[in-house]
Amino acid sequence: MTKATDRFTDPSPDQTAQPPDNSLASSAEPAPARSSKERNPLGELKGNMVLAGVGGQGIITASNTISFACMQAGLDVKKSEVHGMSQRGGTVVSHLRFGPEVHSVMLEPEQAEWILGFEWEEGLRFLEYLKPGGVAFVSTERRIPPTAQADRRGGRVDYALESAPPDGVVPIDTYAIAGDAALERPAIAQTVLLGALSVEMGLPVEIWKEAIAATVPPKTVEANLVAFENGRSWYKRWKQDTAGSKGQTVLQANGSKKSYESIPGSGGGKAVDASRTTIEAWRGGIPKVEIVRDWCKGCNICVAVCPERVLSLDRFDIAVASNPDRCTGCGLCARLCPDMAIEIWLDVPTHLGASTE
Amino acid sequence: MSTAITDAATVTRVPVTGKEKRLLRHAMMPHMLCPGCGHGIILDAMLSVLSERYDNLDNVAFVAGIGCSSRIIGYIDACTLHTTHGRPLSFATGLKLARPELTVIVITGDGDGLSIGGNHLIHAARRNIDLTCVLLNNEIYGMTGGQAAPTTVLGAYTTTTPQGNTQHSFDAAELAKAAGATFVARAQSYRPQVFGEVFGQALDHVGFSFIEVMSDCTEYFGRTNRFGGGADMLMSQARYEPSIDADLARRPTVEPIADAQPVRPVLPTGLLYRSSRLTLEETMGIKGARSSEVNETGQYSTDQGRDA
Repeated sequence: MTKATDRFTDPSPDQTAQPPDNSLASSAEPAPARSSKERNPLGELKGNMVLAGVGGQGIITASNTISFACMQAGLDVKKSEVHGMSQRGGTVVSHLRFGPEVHSVMLEPEQAEWILGFEWEEGLRFLEYLKPGGVAFVSTERRIPPTAQADRRGGRVDYALESAPPDGVVPIDTYAIAGDAALERPAIAQTVLLGALSVEMGLPVEIWKEAIAATVPPKTVEANLVAFENGRSWYKRWKQDTAGSKGQTVLQANGSKKSYESIPGSGGGKAVDASRTTIEAWRGGIPKVEIVRDWCKGCNICVAVCPERVLSLDRFDIAVASNPDRCTGCGLCARLCPDMAIEIWLDVPTHLGASTE
Repeated sequence: MSTAITDAATVTRVPVTGKEKRLLRHAMMPHMLCPGCGHGIILDAMLSVLSERYDNLDNVAFVAGIGCSSRIIGYIDACTLHTTHGRPLSFATGLKLARPELTVIVITGDGDGLSIGGNHLIHAARRNIDLTCVLLNNEIYGMTGGQAAPTTVLGAYTTTTPQGNTQHSFDAAELAKAAGATFVARAQSYRPQVFGEVFGQALDHVGFSFIEVMSDCTEYFGRTNRFGGGADMLMSQARYEPSIDADLARRPTVEPIADAQPVRPVLPTGLLYRSSRLTLEETMGIKGARSSEVNETGQYSTDQGRDA
């Protein structure tokens, strides 16, 4: 919980001398420190938000960044987070409120102006907190917890753009927008959400940049600022392009991707292709597995080591890719194949600028 | 769903694995190793490292003796020399002195390098000749029918020890270090990337580089000791592993257990020892050899060695 106010740091001598009068004075008329804040044009900003995602995605860092930015603007901030199981891929949720003066830290349903979903399903899960007319920025990244991976049916996930997201949800392909650095450090991709949020929140960009530089790891400041700028300009264009539809997303249940195709990603002129899955964005392409049948001796090693259960032995004891769509391209089977019979490659869309070395 | 991506014109194919296959003699494949044999994994890892370094292997010579491990050089498209039992290091010494510009890699097995050729191993290490020796240790004589090898651990069953092995085994890495090797490492077929890392360092090292690789013989060692199939055996390498930074001096001992069921030996892996010493080429004054004194990285000083 962060308290950002000068009420406790520099009380005026009169207030300390007369504590009973202090409460009356503050309720009747603003304290000197507060009156100076009211001259601050940003001092009237207020808002509530929920940040939700999976452990390790930088949710706490992002809420720190927002808090820092609000504090720089002279606002009161309170935040509270639940992060108990984060290390095991569990949910992390942070309530954040800011304004001239914040009393309670927790939000009730339909109180949040904004929701930042760092993971697709976690973001949608907290939609009940969204005010009517609020905006939920939800990353289309999906993370399947390891325990659910053990016997899950689906393999490589195609995120839920096949169905229309609820009203007020802005699906953001954070990996595609963030820039190249996000492929190495996944948490950088989520700074795109802060960029999009900054358009709505009304704080100056300089304050945001200062807050990002102060809260993210020093090595990643530059990449985070790039992601922030990309997210900000992407969301501005998204708002322009969807202005006629009254805040509703134009993605339709029939799979129409008109809006996405018409909105190029702002980073480096790279186009955002809605048909790409998150794993594609992560690894830079669609993984393909190929097995040389004549070389395979059926030792079962690849079947045993594959974490996604892509492979199996056929009736001739030859390995086959029975679920090729699940392949994530980790290459474990190929490296541990004693017969050198397995080959993995990525089909990289040309617009991602693949190099064949 | 994604017609645009599968369109060949808009897709670039980027290999994740498989770049090493161009270094194979494709006419010889598939190889003769048994299903699940760990030697094939090491062959793959070795070629992966070499494929990143060389366009072709015309200046790389593989020398091997007799045994399952030594047979893998027959599938490498390089200068290969298949020699007599136990003597690959002797042939390789002559080859290296005659053609010092070659990168010489010796592939040997635990029987070939420690039993028949044990003397050649310690003398090659003593001379500190600039070559890389990879000893594939599958803890048994696989090719000749599963007899007990000098590396078979105490209590293990083989065709010649049906009541369990009553002899202690060699620690090949410690042997090579004591004999004077200036680079000693150990890897597992379970972790081919660790092997690739130390193999790359061994190629860079000037002097006698020795890598012991714990491999799996599924047909004899695995079957007689009931370790299961190739996949089970591979997994069993991870079961009792110590930390990679474990020291040779702090090597945990394998306790013989009560019901005489053998266990996989617990061994430290990774780079175990590295030091710098004049090589045989330098002491003989051979032109064209790499020098151990002047090296570009300068990291092979004696105080860098773990136990120096």
